[in-house]
Amino acid sequence: MLHDFYDARRLRYDLRNDNKMTKGYLCLVLHTHLPYVRHPEFDDFLEEDWLYEAISETYIPLIDVFERLVRDRVDFRLTFSLTPTLISMLGDSLLQERYLKHLDKLIELAHKEIERTRFEAEFNRLAHLYLERFELCRDVFNRYQRNLISAFKKFQDMGKLDIITCAATHSYFPLMQVSKSSIRAQVKTAVTHYERAFGRPPRGIWLPECGYNPGDDLFLKEAGIKYFFSDAHGLLHGCPRPKYGVFAPVYCKGSGVACFGRDLESSKQVWSSIEGYPGDYNYREFYRDIGFDLDYDYIKPYISSDGTRVNTGIKYYRITGSGNDKKPYVYEWARDKAAEHAANFIFNRHRQIEYLYEILQEKKPIIVSPYDTELFGHWWFEGPLWLEFLIRKLYFDQEIIRMITATEYLEENPRNQVIKPSMSSWGYKGYSEVWLQGANDWLYRHLHEASRRMNELVFGYPHTNGIVRRALNQALRELFLAQSSDWAFILATGTHTSYALKRMKEHILRFTRLYEDIKANRIDERWLNDIECKDNIFPEIDYRVHQ
Amino acid sequence: MARISKRIKKASHPAAGGALKVQKGLSFLDKTRRVMRKAVVSPVLSTLKRRNEVKKGRSQKKSAPKTFARIDKKMTFGQARYLTTSHPAVGGAIAKATRIQKKMTFGQVQYFTPAGEPRRPEAAATGEMQGYRIEMAELPKEYGKDMIVLQVRDPWWLHAYWEVREGTLQKLKHELLALFNTAKKALRVYDVSFIDFNGSNAHRYFDIELTRDCLNYYIDTGAPGRSWCVDLGLKLSDGRFITIVRSNTVTTPLDGPSWISDEEWMVPDELFAKLYATAVGLGGSPVKIKKPWLELQKRRFASGGISSIGISPVRKKEELKRKFWLAVNTELILYGATEPDAKVTVAGSPISLRTDGTFSLRFALPDGKQVIPVHAKSSDGIDQRTITPVVIKETK
Repeated sequence: MLHDFYDARRLRYDLRNDNKMTKGYLCLVLHTHLPYVRHPEFDDFLEEDWLYEAISETYIPLIDVFERLVRDRVDFRLTFSLTPTLISMLGDSLLQERYLKHLDKLIELAHKEIERTRFEAEFNRLAHLYLERFELCRDVFNRYQRNLISAFKKFQDMGKLDIITCAATHSYFPLMQVSKSSIRAQVKTAVTHYERAFGRPPRGIWLPECGYNPGDDLFLKEAGIKYFFSDAHGLLHGCPRPKYGVFAPVYCKGSGVACFGRDLESSKQVWSSIEGYPGDYNYREFYRDIGFDLDYDYIKPYISSDGTRVNTGIKYYRITGSGNDKKPYVYEWARDKAAEHAANFIFNRHRQIEYLYEILQEKKPIIVSPYDTELFGHWWFEGPLWLEFLIRKLYFDQEIIRMITATEYLEENPRNQVIKPSMSSWGYKGYSEVWLQGANDWLYRHLHEASRRMNELVFGYPHTNGIVRRALNQALRELFLAQSSDWAFILATGTHTSYALKRMKEHILRFTRLYEDIKANRIDERWLNDIECKDNIFPEIDYRVHQ
Repeated sequence: MARISKRIKKASHPAAGGALKVQKGLSFLDKTRRVMRKAVVSPVLSTLKRRNEVKKGRSQKKSAPKTFARIDKKMTFGQARYLTTSHPAVGGAIAKATRIQKKMTFGQVQYFTPAGEPRRPEAAATGEMQGYRIEMAELPKEYGKDMIVLQVRDPWWLHAYWEVREGTLQKLKHELLALFNTAKKALRVYDVSFIDFNGSNAHRYFDIELTRDCLNYYIDTGAPGRSWCVDLGLKLSDGRFITIVRSNTVTTPLDGPSWISDEEWMVPDELFAKLYATAVGLGGSPVKIKKPWLELQKRRFASGGISSIGISPVRKKEELKRKFWLAVNTELILYGATEPDAKVTVAGSPISLRTDGTFSLRFALPDGKQVIPVHAKSSDGIDQRTITPVVIKETK
């Protein structure tokens, strides 16, 4: 329906051709991450649903948007981070298999829903809509041979996406300052992993949680990375003062790696729970899912196998208002709202860019807006639609702003100020408190010690082969998995804590046993086989990167 | 140096009334800002804190409350009136905090949940973990070393954790004899900004006395943008400080823009203020450059990592004012049987039969009258039957 509207419009210049009307740039960054959750030892595992939900609700809807844009010859630029843990899961045949099974059940449920809602036209329409969506998921998933990485790669090869990497297991660097070799290993492993997936080295990196500590950029430089992103205060509180605020990148003193700062003004319009777009009353209500709403016996086959009610993804209501009385969702109303909000976003960026263009004078400003990718589709159902409207409107309806990737910007503007950015993160309150508080500060005693022991192993076993080498590689895998910032984050938020606790302990204990066994020269091969199968991330890992 | 350290030492024990004295050197604005920063606990923060005031092992039991008690203390101090009147959220936070009653045990970690707040369904779901109950050894409490690690939490706070071997303590006991028994375990926090610290050239230091079994501590440095190093040691009754182990050095970030400007990339103050305001979402309104971070915090919208887990970054679930509610829905089950090879339609749509010829359908039943013709036709098309239930539903 969207493309019909735009088909009649004139064809536009390619984004590469700079237009004299252009007064500034928009760099949208979508950070895409999930922790490594894969449990071959169970038939069905609740936390694996995080991946399945993200695929159905976010990744495939976005791929669908990109496909439509390409088909309609709408040029666009997005910076897209894909974490090595997520890339590994998307490429894992067991999880692919399980996703299809999960999807088959949803399709079955959607069919039942179409039948069940026969006397309720407004719900019946929605049941049809869900069935269509799930079938689309199956088509897209199969079309890319079950590996969505190939879809993202395709759009990168076309020049539409700039896919950047992240730390190997999304570890939070500011709290690894006594484990510098782990930072180096996280970055190097991520870069190698990226090259295998995309056939070229990554140009940029998304630092996990936007967590930057001065000096970390040296490890990025070592790994050949050209740029990263920091939160606004990373640049604003840097030394010396950044001449263009966050509206132009800087080079880090000492490494020359470029740092782009986040613009909070544009973030706020999307993120904010009060004034942000996702709270509009016409949008879909996330918290009314048939997994919780429908009769238990009916819904039981589609919820958790232990009988706990969980979200199925089928939701029939709109936010409606602040009360609890929810009204049925009307797709057309929500779609119109998404278009309106996209126009509003552009209107506000115009104001911002015109203002900045005037005060900066000699420099065209770049506005960097990073978001968690799961916001689009998972939390904000209409998010992918909003993004599509935004891209189309930017392309057809105006010339003031041009979408750009960080790489392109640096090519156009190679001369930038050199400063030392400030320590910062995009977590609550801007620093490390989310990952360092009563609920999780005890983790670091174990993580730091494990990292030190890994150094000891690398130093003590510089040349190995056979089972010792396998054990050393596995030790690094376990260390990496323990270092995911997700565990500390989950402990801090208080949901799913027992899972995070188990995972953390499991990896540290496996690491510790490997460390002791390697040193005592008594590696238990059967056990090693077992944990190699369970924690099978990074098959090509080389433990010697940890130094 | 001694004078300064005394001053700071006092400050680190606000219970003794030192909280404000530490800020002697700062302007009134700075003072207010500092206090606000810590004392204005937003409801979100207080919820977070409540959830996370987790005590684990023996290590935290003593130290964590100390830290939080400090915040509470400040709220009841001189500024309290100012804070509570202008920030009702603070009053709310305190009132809520007192509701922490129920104590739950979860693995080896104890969580506090406020009374009357049910656990989320997600949490309950993972409680069983679908059999993910591998018997697991506990993590070691200590690693048998003398060590201390210092980390930066934010511009004002550091976190230190440590361990000391029993053997080391025994050795000290032998050396110090009677002095050992009256000695107090303490952290000595050195300001080592812009110097190569050799143990005696710090700009200043302050001490924090610890209980014997305390294994970590949050340190309020009170001064952003400085470098710090911490000694764990014993304070003897004769005034000596015996260092057991020295930490790494860390540098805290500034809590505002740097005062250093680039000669080549000179930016006038006024322009920088405009850029700062635009970047943090205050539009083009001119702000003072030293606009406190607090203001920025109120307006920032942070993600905290994996958003598909836990709580929505954009919309919170609406809480009912009173935790009581009722929902009633009706469904209609229509079932029957015919020859297994017959063709059956319900309200015009074909349905599939089970192998024994039975069928059952389930419909959401709205108010009103539903006419549901069920039509069966034999496989050779000769025999036909139609039965039409009419269902009237009414909600009062």
